[in-house]
Amino acid sequence: MKQLEGQFLPLGKFMDRPEGWGRQQGRTVYQRLLQFVEENPGSVIFLISLTGVQRMDISFASEAIVELVLRFRRSKGFSIIDPVNADLTENIDAACLKKNQPITVLENQQIKMIGPKPSEGTREALEFVMDRPYARASDLATEGGVSLNNASMKLKKLWDQGFLLRQEKASDSGGVEFIYYRIS
Amino acid sequence: MHCIVDFAADWVNGNRFEASLLESRGPFSDGIYEVSFRFPTGCKIMVDSAIRILSLANQLVSSTRRVRMYFEEGEAGTMGYLNRIGFFDQLHPEVMISPERPAYSGARLHQGQNKKLVEIARINKDDRDIGLPSRLVKVISRVCQNRADVEELCHSIWTIFCELIDNIFEHSATKLDGYAALQTYIEGNRLFVAVSDSGLGIMETLRPTLKTQFPQLEKKTDTELLVMIFRQGLSRHGEDRGCGLKGCAAKAIKYNATLDVRLPNQRLVLIPARGAYEPNRAYCSEQLPLVWGTHIGITFNLGVDRNEGSG
Repeated sequence: MKQLEGQFLPLGKFMDRPEGWGRQQGRTVYQRLLQFVEENPGSVIFLISLTGVQRMDISFASEAIVELVLRFRRSKGFSIIDPVNADLTENIDAACLKKNQPITVLENQQIKMIGPKPSEGTREALEFVMDRPYARASDLATEGGVSLNNASMKLKKLWDQGFLLRQEKASDSGGVEFIYYRIS
Repeated sequence: MHCIVDFAADWVNGNRFEASLLESRGPFSDGIYEVSFRFPTGCKIMVDSAIRILSLANQLVSSTRRVRMYFEEGEAGTMGYLNRIGFFDQLHPEVMISPERPAYSGARLHQGQNKKLVEIARINKDDRDIGLPSRLVKVISRVCQNRADVEELCHSIWTIFCELIDNIFEHSATKLDGYAALQTYIEGNRLFVAVSDSGLGIMETLRPTLKTQFPQLEKKTDTELLVMIFRQGLSRHGEDRGCGLKGCAAKAIKYNATLDVRLPNQRLVLIPARGAYEPNRAYCSEQLPLVWGTHIGITFNLGVDRNEGSG
C-alpha cells in the first residue's frame, strides 16, 4: 500500500500580490485554485505552499482556502505547508473554525491540525491514523483495543468531518474495505 | 433651526465627542437645516473623533444641511492638526470653514514625513485601494521598531484594518466614502486605530435576518448581540460567516485593547478583562443622537512588550 502523493500548489502564484485580503480577492483566487484542482483530476492531496505569501486576512483565507477544502471534503485533501509567520496560520485557523473545516499544517517537519478539534470519542482514532501514512479499521481495532465496528464508525466519522481521506480497496476476503489516510 | 455642537477646550476623545453631540440635541434632529461645529482654543481632536466628525459633516451636507466649522485658534490650534492629517482634503467642499479653509493641504505637503501618524485614508468600494492596509501599518513598524514583537503587532493591526475595511466594502451599502486612520501617542505606547463608514449600521443589517438565520437570538438586546458579534462572530449571511469582527477582537485582545463601536444611535465600549471581552465589561449607551454608519475605534495600550512581558 502506498502513501497518497501530494500535488504541490503554490498559492502565491495564484495571487496578484503577496498580501491577500478581503472576500472579493479571496473569491477571485478561489476560482483560480478551483481550476487548478480540476485540471489535476488524478491528484488526491494538494500541498498548499505559502512560500511568498506575506499576509492573509481571515476573510481572504475563508473564501480562497477554506471554501476550496470544503468543496472537496471527503474526496480530496489539502494541507498547508511553509507558513512564513504564525499570523498566517492563526488567520487560516480562525477561518477554519468558523466553517467547521479542519486542515493539516506541515511546519518544520511537524504535522498539526488547525480548525475544529475532533470529538473526545474520535480523538484517539485520529491520533492513531496521524502517526502512520494510512490505516484500516482492523488496524485500529487490533492496536487500539476497540471493536471492529467501533473502529470503523470512528474512522468514518473523522472522514465525514474532513479530518481524514479514505479510499476503497478490495479486501483479502473478497469484500470491500476502506483505507484511511492522514492528509499530508 | 440651527444646531450648535460645541467641543471641549481639551482633548476630544470618543466620550467627549458624544457629550458634545448630546448637548447639541443632535444635528439630524427634525427641523435642523444648519449645523455649526465649534472648536475653542485648547480643543485637541483625537484621531478617532476626527474621522467621526468628518463622516458626520459629510453626511449632513449630503442630506442638504448647511454645515459650518469654527476654529477659534485658526491653524495654530486643532485646525492645523486636522489639516496635517488630511481632514480638509476629505471634507465636503460645501462645508464652510472659519476663519477660512487652509490655503494648502498639510497632508499633501508633509505626506509620510511624520512617523507617528498616517493621513486619513478614504475608503470607497468602487475605487478599492488594495495597498491601503499595508501603508497604514508601515508607521507602526517605524514607531515601534524597538519592540521585540513589532512584526506580530504589525500583522495583527494589518488584519484588523483589512477586516474592518472589507466590512465596509461588503456591508455598508452607501455611496458616501468611509475613512481609516491611525495614530501613535507617547513614544509608541498608545496606538489608535479608527475606521468609519456612513452606511448602514451593523444592527440595521443583522436584525432583519435574525428571524430566518438565528431565531433563537431574536429576543436578545442590541448590546447582547453586539458583544456576540465580537466574541463569537455573527453575520446576516449565516453561521459560517462573521469571522471578520470576531477575528479583529481576537487580535485586539492580545494587546489589551479597548474597542469603541459607534452605531447610528448606540455606542458600545468593550473593556478587556482577564484576556477576553466579557459581557459584564461591555458598556452600551442607547438613544444617542443619530450618526449614520459604523465607527470603530481601537485603543492599544502597548506599555509592555508582550514578548518581554511573557519572557
